[in-house]
Amino acid sequence: MTDSLSVLTLFFFSIVVYSIPLLYGTVGEIMIEKSGSLNLGVEGTMAIGAVLGYIVGCRADSLFVGMMIAFISSALVGALFSFLTVTLQANQNVTGLTITTFGVALYYFIGNGLGNDWPQMGSAPRMVNSFSDMEIPLLSDIPGIGKIFFSHNIMVYIAVGIAVLCWIYLNTTTLGLELRAIGENPGAADSMGINIPLMKYIHIMVGSGIMGLGGLYMGLNMGGTFEGSNCWINGYGWISIALVIFVNWNPAMAVVGTFVFGFFNTLRVYSGSLASTFPGLLGWLGNIPAQFFSALPFIITLLILVVDSMRKNKKSGQPAAIGLNYYREDR
Amino acid sequence: MADGEYAIELRGISKTFGSIKANRNINLNLKKGEILALLGENGSGKTTLMNMLSGIYAPDSGSIFVDGKKVSISSPEDSVRLGIGMVHQHFKLVEAFSCADNIWAGVLNKGILLKKDRYKEVEDFAAKFGFTVDAKKQVSLMSVSEKQTLEILKVLYNGARVIILDEPTAVLTIQETRKLFDVLRKMKEQGHSIIIITHKLNEVMEISDRVAVLRKGEYIDTVKTSETDEKKLTELMVGHKVDLNIERGELRKTTPLLEIRDLTIRGDEGSIAVEGLNFYIRGGEMLGVAGIAGSGQKELCEAIAGLRPVEKGSIVHKGKNIAGLSPKTIFAQGIAFSFIPEDRLGMGLAPSLSIVDNVILKKYKKGKGPFVDRKTGRKEAAAIVKDYEVVTPSIDTPVRRLSGGNVQKVLLGREINSSPNVIVTAYAVRGLDIHSSYMVYDILNEQKKKGVGILFVGEDLDVMMALCDKIMVMCHGRLMGVVHAAKTNKEELGLMMTGALDLTSKSGKTAGIASDSALTMEEWERGPEPAEEVDDDE
Amino acid sequence: MNNLHLVKRSGNTLVRRIVCYIVAIIISMGIGAILLSVLGINPVSYYKDMLTIGLIGNRYAYKSVEGFLKVFVPLLMVSLALALSFKMRFWNIGGEGEFLVGAMCAAAVAFNFGSLPTAALIPLMCLAAIISSGLIGLAVAFLKCRFNTNETLITLMINYIVLYGVKYFGETKADWNFFLRDDSARPIFAKFPENAEMPGIHIGAFNLLYSVIFTLILTVIIYVYLKYTKQGYEIAVVGDSSDTARYAGIKVKRVTLRTMFLSASLIGLAGAFSASASATVSSSMTNSVGWTGIVVAWLSKLSIPGIFVASILISILQYGCQAASTSYPAIDRNYADLLQGIILFAVLVSDFTVTFKIVKRKEDASK
Repeated sequence: MTDSLSVLTLFFFSIVVYSIPLLYGTVGEIMIEKSGSLNLGVEGTMAIGAVLGYIVGCRADSLFVGMMIAFISSALVGALFSFLTVTLQANQNVTGLTITTFGVALYYFIGNGLGNDWPQMGSAPRMVNSFSDMEIPLLSDIPGIGKIFFSHNIMVYIAVGIAVLCWIYLNTTTLGLELRAIGENPGAADSMGINIPLMKYIHIMVGSGIMGLGGLYMGLNMGGTFEGSNCWINGYGWISIALVIFVNWNPAMAVVGTFVFGFFNTLRVYSGSLASTFPGLLGWLGNIPAQFFSALPFIITLLILVVDSMRKNKKSGQPAAIGLNYYREDR
Repeated sequence: MADGEYAIELRGISKTFGSIKANRNINLNLKKGEILALLGENGSGKTTLMNMLSGIYAPDSGSIFVDGKKVSISSPEDSVRLGIGMVHQHFKLVEAFSCADNIWAGVLNKGILLKKDRYKEVEDFAAKFGFTVDAKKQVSLMSVSEKQTLEILKVLYNGARVIILDEPTAVLTIQETRKLFDVLRKMKEQGHSIIIITHKLNEVMEISDRVAVLRKGEYIDTVKTSETDEKKLTELMVGHKVDLNIERGELRKTTPLLEIRDLTIRGDEGSIAVEGLNFYIRGGEMLGVAGIAGSGQKELCEAIAGLRPVEKGSIVHKGKNIAGLSPKTIFAQGIAFSFIPEDRLGMGLAPSLSIVDNVILKKYKKGKGPFVDRKTGRKEAAAIVKDYEVVTPSIDTPVRRLSGGNVQKVLLGREINSSPNVIVTAYAVRGLDIHSSYMVYDILNEQKKKGVGILFVGEDLDVMMALCDKIMVMCHGRLMGVVHAAKTNKEELGLMMTGALDLTSKSGKTAGIASDSALTMEEWERGPEPAEEVDDDE
Repeated sequence: MNNLHLVKRSGNTLVRRIVCYIVAIIISMGIGAILLSVLGINPVSYYKDMLTIGLIGNRYAYKSVEGFLKVFVPLLMVSLALALSFKMRFWNIGGEGEFLVGAMCAAAVAFNFGSLPTAALIPLMCLAAIISSGLIGLAVAFLKCRFNTNETLITLMINYIVLYGVKYFGETKADWNFFLRDDSARPIFAKFPENAEMPGIHIGAFNLLYSVIFTLILTVIIYVYLKYTKQGYEIAVVGDSSDTARYAGIKVKRVTLRTMFLSASLIGLAGAFSASASATVSSSMTNSVGWTGIVVAWLSKLSIPGIFVASILISILQYGCQAASTSYPAIDRNYADLLQGIILFAVLVSDFTVTFKIVKRKEDASK
């Protein structure tokens, strides 16, 4: 019985581990979308933050430095997106897709270019140490829950902290109000004297920076090994875009929403061991193909999109002006 | 009154959009504590000029002085800081926000956290100016005049000392306009300086201290209101003497062409937009439709054109019911439709397509084979451009690039070219200058002479009283009565528009039903026969 | 400081556009050259290898042309198909998914009816692809028409659902799974029966596939369709203003459904062509053509000749990197993506200089 309990605990523990990069990606994208921009470049933004953050972090042997670099480099990608879509009025879909192509390609280019010089995680013991799981006093002693929620590495808690902060920011601060006004009706926001380009630049950059942290987390979680065929981000950026819809543009809900999506992802990995541990109750899990679990987040989001559009009198958190560029002197 | 006499001074302001010179070397000043009316025909550059004060546009050249100090306004934020506030013609409100949040989002130096008591604060502030508002009400649930009140509050809350209103009365009833003017006078007493843009001369005379006149992007003159009259202002505005009287075409009415009985239509939100409406148009007659914006005029027009499903009732055209048929069928019966929406390009035209492609819009399916016949289309487009004096670089120019008046000419030209027997026209002169307006009136009168029945949905009561034969008034989707245009007055129309006066039950007979209907009583009861549907596929 | 501001340009900008794009490409190649030099590679000789796509000094030059066409044909076709829906302002970004569905359905036909003669089998495969992908497009269009569901996000989701579906077939060893090789214990997609391989016209050693010829013909047809036919006119009107379209008697929903069916089914057909030409399928066979196609269609401003030229350029880049990697093993096809990204950024910037001009504000103009 203790064995089956530990499988369950490990299962739920892993859900948290898998959902955290999604949380970074989702919260970052929410900040961007609330400003009225749809950034389809999450995948690429995360990839750039991941690879640069990881390499510099390893060289400096400091998780903090790694996080700073991940944030800054991704924020710079955000600046590029802002420059193209806000200042130069380029199409957001096309720019976002280009960022994804470019970001993932840059990831490979750097990885391939370094070749044998690629830093191994073992070469940075202090960084590894900072990233290792830590038990929060008292809370981690709670049976079951303690292990599942309160004995993770620091970046897990930072992610949750950022999500909560973003919620507070959007809903209780004056700047948050101004940001939402831009996403809903940029023309109105402009006439109110809100500096739209500045606000968009800042929030797109911060949002992108947050995504970069998620990328770094993924890289560290995968042990920092570079594979020539598989990008660390591996579709998590796209799931994040889906998640934004799932959580109705609410950063606090994102904590719950990513947990749900992480659940499916973990199920993919653990379905075998769960089925063998609980043959009676969960035996059927073994028969479900792993790819189904991978596709599930997208299937659910698709259903939500359809059901949501069928509902009348909806109160959606979707910014009304999303995806549209704003040019003041247009006529 | 501290330093200087003027709250605002503009010197040599110019602004160009592409090849259009919207403002040329404009000089204008606003005294402290006065109401200045900015008068000009449409396209004279009033809104453009004011948008430069509110920071929406930046001038190409020239300088702006506020309280005697030279300033540079390159964004709305600058404008707000300088104490200038503008109430735009098309409201700039966030629909998903509450009243208080709309005000709050624009407040400068409001601290970091949103205050919980902001709702009460806004309500208290509003009370100071005699407004009662529900600060928690969402904008999407507000009526037009509530939205305007909110816009004014927004500007006042920001501490604006100079307030610009862009055609504020366009969407209001006469009674609401009076209330607005009371508010403006009160603001003036408190030391605010106000610029009001309008092209309604009576309002200019009523509210303003001085009038500044623009013509075709140029500054003409500023005169004291007390030293001028409507005639003189019109002269300044259009540059030459114009006959203020619109000619009413000779009335040679025939049998009822279009009869509407017991018509009920639902609006976009599913609520009843038009209810139990009865009226008719005879051949050779022009029927005006008056009503406050959103009283069901749009829905009525769309239903006649077949663009909106009919909930109940019949639309009988020459004895056949056309209710519920496709737009194509209805058009084939000879019912033309020209609806000029607020943004001018929404309905009836495809803005990015060329004049040619817009002219062939309704007949592109004619002719055999899979290809569009553009040859005849080009000829027709060239003819419209010539006949209606459309100003355009070529017939291949996208309609979007034309100015408002020219767009309307293309639209009307196409509709009239289809030689209709009924014309449904809504806001035909919306946004047109006087010259173009008169041209439109002439066109319509000419059609009337040919025996065409015209439904003229309008905004300006003066115009309708002068142009139409009869005026039908709607209020909240219901008929309030049909009056003879020559015998009525504005007060009566205004009362009917607000629902205060109902003429439908005055005389014994039901209003809006022709005594010599095209159908007999039995036929009406049996339900009129539907007209034959035109097959969509060749 | 605020004396500069933007003004939209008017008039014909075609020449300016072409010049700006060429400058953008040259600048991007320069940036790419710097990156190459960092890796210690001589950019001049690398670019020479890349841009000639292995045509010069190659005894098997025809192989290079065939390889190039394998990249070019799907990209051209997908971009054309996407342009159809974009013209209608319908954001179909489901190219990846629709491509894969077409390819898989064609493969299913190939594996199950492999005994049919080529002349019957290939059209049957194409038909299966057209119908299956078309139905997906139809479903998305239906949701949009009926419930106004956001088509951008729906098609985005479909891409991934389809991708994992293909992976399922490719990774599941089972008796019923006819997609896989019987003789391998590991799951591997099987090769098509010989009859299902795309035939061609032999010009010397060079094999000009019928799918290439057909795609070129299709390009002309789509050009004529959009520009001169009634249906093409309807698409333009619906894309511009659906209210106006309804008023003109155009059945907007029908046009939307029809055009999306066409758009998706053409992408599916591209998938079938691609599968048949390489005689197999895989989950990575799209080569990101669904994404690249969006960018190509958009940057060409939805003009068919523009799409044709842009597809050639992007394909040279993509295939050129592949060809050059024989002499430069350190640089794989990701360099093409990287360079493509930089070029696109540069083109987006130059797009701006075409649409807008920066004007200096005059102070106190006299007169």
